[in-house]
Amino acid sequence: MPSIVPALEWLEGLAWTTAIRESVWGYPMIETAHVASIVAFAGLVIMMDLRLVGLAFTHAPLAQIQRRLFPWQIAGLVPSTATGLLLCCIDPMRYYGNVFFRVKLVLLALAGLNALAFHLKTYRRAERWDEDPQATATARLAGAVSLLLWSATIVSGRLIAYNWFK
Amino acid sequence: MSQAYRESLYLFALTQSLHLVAVTTFFGAILIGDLRLLGWGPVAQSRAGIARSAQSVLLWAGLAVLVTGIPQFTTHALTYQRSPIFVFKMCLLAAALAFTATLRQRVAAADEGRLPSWVPRAVGAVSLALWMGVTISGRLITFFG
Repeated sequence: MPSIVPALEWLEGLAWTTAIRESVWGYPMIETAHVASIVAFAGLVIMMDLRLVGLAFTHAPLAQIQRRLFPWQIAGLVPSTATGLLLCCIDPMRYYGNVFFRVKLVLLALAGLNALAFHLKTYRRAERWDEDPQATATARLAGAVSLLLWSATIVSGRLIAYNWFK
Repeated sequence: MSQAYRESLYLFALTQSLHLVAVTTFFGAILIGDLRLLGWGPVAQSRAGIARSAQSVLLWAGLAVLVTGIPQFTTHALTYQRSPIFVFKMCLLAAALAFTATLRQRVAAADEGRLPSWVPRAVGAVSLALWMGVTISGRLITFFG
């Protein structure tokens, strides 16, 4: 299977990635922007999940909360992803070799799949969400899984900074 | 590395990570309230309704932030107290807490239409700026501590 290492080394060698990597402010600024956008994005996702599991905002119809929050979640996801990709370009070899980064990518994919599955279901039965017990049970499960996956993703992301395993 | 030190490093890292999850939850509750104040987000819900729901999340998440924040501080107290960024974060946090507990609370609980429309919008914007400021300066401690 072809290795992506040559591609990563090429990225690492580019003038602009090297410049940012070696600058004093470059990396801190981009990483901070990454954390800030994630806090906003994941914060709203967690609010949605708390509604799904019935722990908060229960006075509001589920479909309504979901519909209004969704654009803002996407608005937070865009800078999160952009800064994340940027960080990968700037220091690709560091992240490639980091076990917590790899775990984070897997968790991210799972969280994304869970969210996609939920979306495909909600749009079909939006009006009945709050009355249908079956839908409520599905909602609770999706919410709980989502809470778990996104929390694990955040933890994994934070642990990237620790180079415990080589 | 002694066993004890290694274990405390793992514990510190875990605490720090859970702190981030708690911060994210806290900020999410702030954000959903501020979006409502700004006239965006779940607008079919009253400001007061959203605020009431968000309040218990804020309290629980806030407690988690405290519980996970204090061990970090006690481990590195000497370093942190000499750090201007840490001091700045704490001042900003105090301002944000005071603002949220007083002005923001009152504006969010006010009946729709009782206040001129610019007031909740201004409060929402200030709240976002303060809390995002706390989050960002918290992150910068690692870089410029």
